[in-house]
Amino acid sequence: MDILFLLIPLSVVLVFAVLGGLWWAIYTGQFEEVEAEGERILHED
Amino acid sequence: MLTPALPQAQPTSTSLESDQRAWIALDDPAEWSGFSQALDNEQQDWESRLAIEGMHCAACAFNVERALKAVQGVSSVEVNATSGRARIVWSAALTKPSDWLSAVSKAGYRALPAADAFAQDTRRKNQRLMLWRWLVAGFCMMQVMMYAYPAYVANAGEMTPDMLNLLRWASWVLTLPVLLFSSGPFFSNALNDLKMRQISMDMPVALGILITFIVSTAATFEPNGWWGEEVYFDSLTMFVFFLLTGRWIELRMRDRTAGALDALMLRLPASVERQKADGSFERVAVRQLALGDVVRVLPGETFPADGTITLGSTSADEALLTGESRAVPKGLGTEVIAGSYNLSAAVQVRIDKIGQTTRYAQIVALMERVSAEKPRLAILADRIARPFLITVLFAAAASAAFWWQEDHGRALMAAVAVLIVTCPCALSLATPAAMLTVSGALAKSGVLVRKMQALEALTTIDTVVFDKTGTLTHDRMEIGKISTAPHISQSAALAVASKMAQHSLHPVSRALVQASQTQLADEAQIAVSNVQEISGFGLVADASLGKLKLGSAKFCEITDEVLQSLQKPVESEQSSVVYLVANQVWLATFEVIEAVKEDAANAVSALQSLGLGVEVLSGDKLQSVARIANLVGISQVNGGCTPQEKLQRLQFLQQQGRQVAMVGDGLNDGPVLAAAHVSIAMGQAVPLAQSQSDFVIMSGELNMVPHLIHQAKRTMRIVKQNLIWAAVYNATCVPLAVAGMLPAWLAGLGMALSSLLVVLNAARLANATKPITHP
Repeated sequence: MDILFLLIPLSVVLVFAVLGGLWWAIYTGQFEEVEAEGERILHED
Repeated sequence: MLTPALPQAQPTSTSLESDQRAWIALDDPAEWSGFSQALDNEQQDWESRLAIEGMHCAACAFNVERALKAVQGVSSVEVNATSGRARIVWSAALTKPSDWLSAVSKAGYRALPAADAFAQDTRRKNQRLMLWRWLVAGFCMMQVMMYAYPAYVANAGEMTPDMLNLLRWASWVLTLPVLLFSSGPFFSNALNDLKMRQISMDMPVALGILITFIVSTAATFEPNGWWGEEVYFDSLTMFVFFLLTGRWIELRMRDRTAGALDALMLRLPASVERQKADGSFERVAVRQLALGDVVRVLPGETFPADGTITLGSTSADEALLTGESRAVPKGLGTEVIAGSYNLSAAVQVRIDKIGQTTRYAQIVALMERVSAEKPRLAILADRIARPFLITVLFAAAASAAFWWQEDHGRALMAAVAVLIVTCPCALSLATPAAMLTVSGALAKSGVLVRKMQALEALTTIDTVVFDKTGTLTHDRMEIGKISTAPHISQSAALAVASKMAQHSLHPVSRALVQASQTQLADEAQIAVSNVQEISGFGLVADASLGKLKLGSAKFCEITDEVLQSLQKPVESEQSSVVYLVANQVWLATFEVIEAVKEDAANAVSALQSLGLGVEVLSGDKLQSVARIANLVGISQVNGGCTPQEKLQRLQFLQQQGRQVAMVGDGLNDGPVLAAAHVSIAMGQAVPLAQSQSDFVIMSGELNMVPHLIHQAKRTMRIVKQNLIWAAVYNATCVPLAVAGMLPAWLAGLGMALSSLLVVLNAARLANATKPITHP
């Protein structure tokens, strides 16, 4: 079970990595206007 | 609508500094009309509307109100916590916008002039930050629960102390972002409260978070202290997550409620293509438009101001402004209104009205005022909120003291549960949330709520009194009975008359044209030429029948003997009959009557089936009032009343203990509308700013009256449910928490759910935009 002493700290690091991904998603506007991308094809230019 | 250069050009990070610079720019009177209206009195008072950020509950609204009232020159302030908006009346002689804007920021909140171009930007930034805080809390919570799980399921001795410590350490690390980042708003608001010696909802919450974290941290690093070895990181992250979830959904709902408002307020485009002197077009900001400018509006854009179409034709969607749900055709020379959508083609429009004088601006101002208004029940709840919170702090301390002997750690957690579980928010949200939602929904179907209080009054109504002209009837005329000479058929006579009438804009002429369109085809095919309008008298024309004349008996030179011999249409008066003669020989008589609204009978029977008494009260001749009343099914008729007599009749009804709703056109019934318990104006022709009614039905649809009463009843039912729920929730949960029977995480869940339930319950009102129809 010694491996847990490595895996648990690793999971903490992983959480921060995932949070980093979420930060990117929010601040590039991935959660806003979710329908807009689908509608984009219908618009000119 | 400020100069774009002011707020937007500033870097977002130095917010306070840039705010202050922007505020000073707002001291220029030229900018005031963007968010204010002059009240035209001696003190040079202005009325402004603000969007306040950082408000979470009724106590916050109270704090902002106090801060604003403390500024010299501010005479009246209304803050609505639910819509996040405020209305302020200030004197230009005594104060400037920068004074009271900074007063709000000193109280720990942020105020923006509403209808501001950058309000939307700020809102998006806030939404992102909120979502981010929520996601951090949620994700860390999940992971902390994972670490907590082994300790829950393991039997004593199964886990080594090292492993237990490692898991606690990991939990502690992941709780830090939740504490430092996600709970940020709780702490900063609580800190503000401390500084200002005031209290709001965030104070107990912040205290609870802090106590939990300190106890758990101490247990992590020194398991043998008096605080015990139990850690509560899972509880902490969980209730922060629940509270944030609640707030986030609440914010979304609030935005959606305010959405009906904003759908209107943010209707105007930021820029528009204006024609230059050489005929080409350039994009300019809408606020730079001047009267007489010609602009090009593309399909899908909104019209930036009231104007007249000078080139092209299209159709427009005016639903939010007039209640007309069908697309309105707009040809050359017709008027378009600011805020309506151009649907089909690009047109050029000459600007006739801009800024605060447009109907659009009036509607927006009206809705702004309502959203800052506080209904009576909400004021009551606000008054309770403050002593309630203080009681909660004492209850928490008492419960900690009570359990202290048994287990110090547990005693502290019981206090935390009390702090977290109490929810005056549900109490103070109950009324405004429901009323705001319903006024948003009603606005979408073309009914403006001017006084929220009236929604409550409307539920107690037992009598509805209608005015006739413009209320039960259209403003336009209609052709009633037609009598003709033996040698010409009715349809032929009507066809001839309408061919002449086409050349005139007189109401009677329009009625003739309208009537001929609904009649059978004209089999006689009589050609009419040389039509001339003798203004104020009638029309003359040449036809195969001879020299035609259409107009009054005198104009048509019909002798009294002929008049006597003619069969007079029943009930008609001389003034409401037109004659058609050919070579001075009588051809036909057209009776002109008022057009009854198509939905009048339906609306009246719907009201009667709700158990309401219906009356008609009119200044018109009793005979014509009775005819209309008979058509729509009203038996109680009062005709020929002077305004004074109308008022007396109304007061007579009220003395009998009746609760009266008056439905009028809002123009001629001013005093009567003002005296009624509830007043409803048919708002097609009414200058909105002047009408004093509680509700304005913009489409003039009578079916909206029973719909409105139905919605008011639903609203009050939901308000009552909300209030009862909030009271029951607090009355059961607080004692449970004091007794130490409620774990902190459950307390967080309970609080989030209780205010969510109130908001969601209110949201049920949002779908009710379609009027009920009674067959």
